[in-house]
Amino acid sequence: MANAREIQNRIKSIKDTMKITKAMYMMSSMKLRKARQKREDTAPFFYGLQEQITSILCHFPDMQHLYFDNREKDKREKIKKKGYIVVTGDKGMAGAYNHNVIKEAVKQVENADDLHMYVVGEVGRHYFRSQGYPLDESFLFSANNPSIHRARVITERIVDLYKREELDEVYIVYTRMINSMREEVTFEQLLPLKTHEFIKQEMIKSAGVGMYADGELEHADDWFLIYPSPKRVLERIVYNYITGYMYGALVESSASEENCRMIAMQAATNNAESMLRELSIQYNRIRQAAITQEITEVIGGAKALRKKKKKKAMALSAMQK
Amino acid sequence: MNTFTLKVIACNRVFYEGPCEILIYPAFDGQMAIMANHESITSCIDVGEIHFRTPDGVNHVAIVSDGLIKVDNNKADVFVYSAEKPEEIDKFRAEAALERAKDQLRQKQSIMEYNVSSASLARAMARLRGIEKFDIH
Repeated sequence: MANAREIQNRIKSIKDTMKITKAMYMMSSMKLRKARQKREDTAPFFYGLQEQITSILCHFPDMQHLYFDNREKDKREKIKKKGYIVVTGDKGMAGAYNHNVIKEAVKQVENADDLHMYVVGEVGRHYFRSQGYPLDESFLFSANNPSIHRARVITERIVDLYKREELDEVYIVYTRMINSMREEVTFEQLLPLKTHEFIKQEMIKSAGVGMYADGELEHADDWFLIYPSPKRVLERIVYNYITGYMYGALVESSASEENCRMIAMQAATNNAESMLRELSIQYNRIRQAAITQEITEVIGGAKALRKKKKKKAMALSAMQK
Repeated sequence: MNTFTLKVIACNRVFYEGPCEILIYPAFDGQMAIMANHESITSCIDVGEIHFRTPDGVNHVAIVSDGLIKVDNNKADVFVYSAEKPEEIDKFRAEAALERAKDQLRQKQSIMEYNVSSASLARAMARLRGIEKFDIH
């Protein structure tokens, strides 16, 4: 059994750690609030844009374009150069958050022949570097505090690579926050845009909750003007869409990260509290035992002394007799 | 005057949603105006300013970054990264951004970096023009 001083030291160090976890809890809850606000603010833009691109594609299903998956070159080439954007956190201490994203990314990357990784966040970068994945070292973006500017720069880079045909397909792995208790790692294809995917979505939507009026599908063939030209509008729309998507992914990820961290820190604080409770009981017991022992020793000593005295006195009286 | 429903959506908020009499926006080849019962159209918006008049006769101005507009069924949706009223613009920030963009453009850059810098230059200039024109500060 440890002695009292050791336990006291332990209690002190746990208390210090608890201070840190508590502070981190407060910080992440604040950041979470901000991230959630951002997420809500951007939702109309994000989903509205998605709807727009859907309706354009729905009206022009036969359009062939650099950004669509029905390119001639796609049918020709067998090996695709795949780019993966992985959104992780900048630091750990967020429960399984980073682990989950990395696991999903590794799983997706497994069957790619020619791959390039673009990792946001220090934790993921470190992992993929140490495991020897082909990581783009100049792709340095922090996951903390997402901004539209960062999303724009990332988009510009990725679309540029795509246009120069250094990448044929671009995927993204990020974490979506479903509610405050649940996150989900999401894997999505960014480029080329899947035409039939969009159209399917449109069908489901119009059949369902009434985002579209009844008979929307019948109107799908209605002619409408795209000014100045479909090509030009698409060019712009794709940038907008991918930037919007990137921004949405960054915001979702950062909200999930802070949420995970908050939960992890809450758990750590709780653990520390229960440990402290146990240790303080142990400490009290040991202290009590030490006191008892001391008292017994004192009493024993006193008794022995008294006995000795008695013996002496007895011996003395016997001598006098 | 007839009205149509206008929705201006920026990436961080819904800037305006409601009835509108006329909307003027910068297209790539000049300004375009949308009025009630316009034919269905999808088009791009350039960096610049949009004007719209609400039924109470008030003219509104917003400085916008690039985006897209869709008109359908007497309803116009405008999607832009940012939409600000002239009085909301931070002049110092815009000036700093302008300087930064100019600096970057002077340096040797890849095509990609050039695109990013010239886009930020255009945004900063649009913001500053908005401030000057409406003489807010």
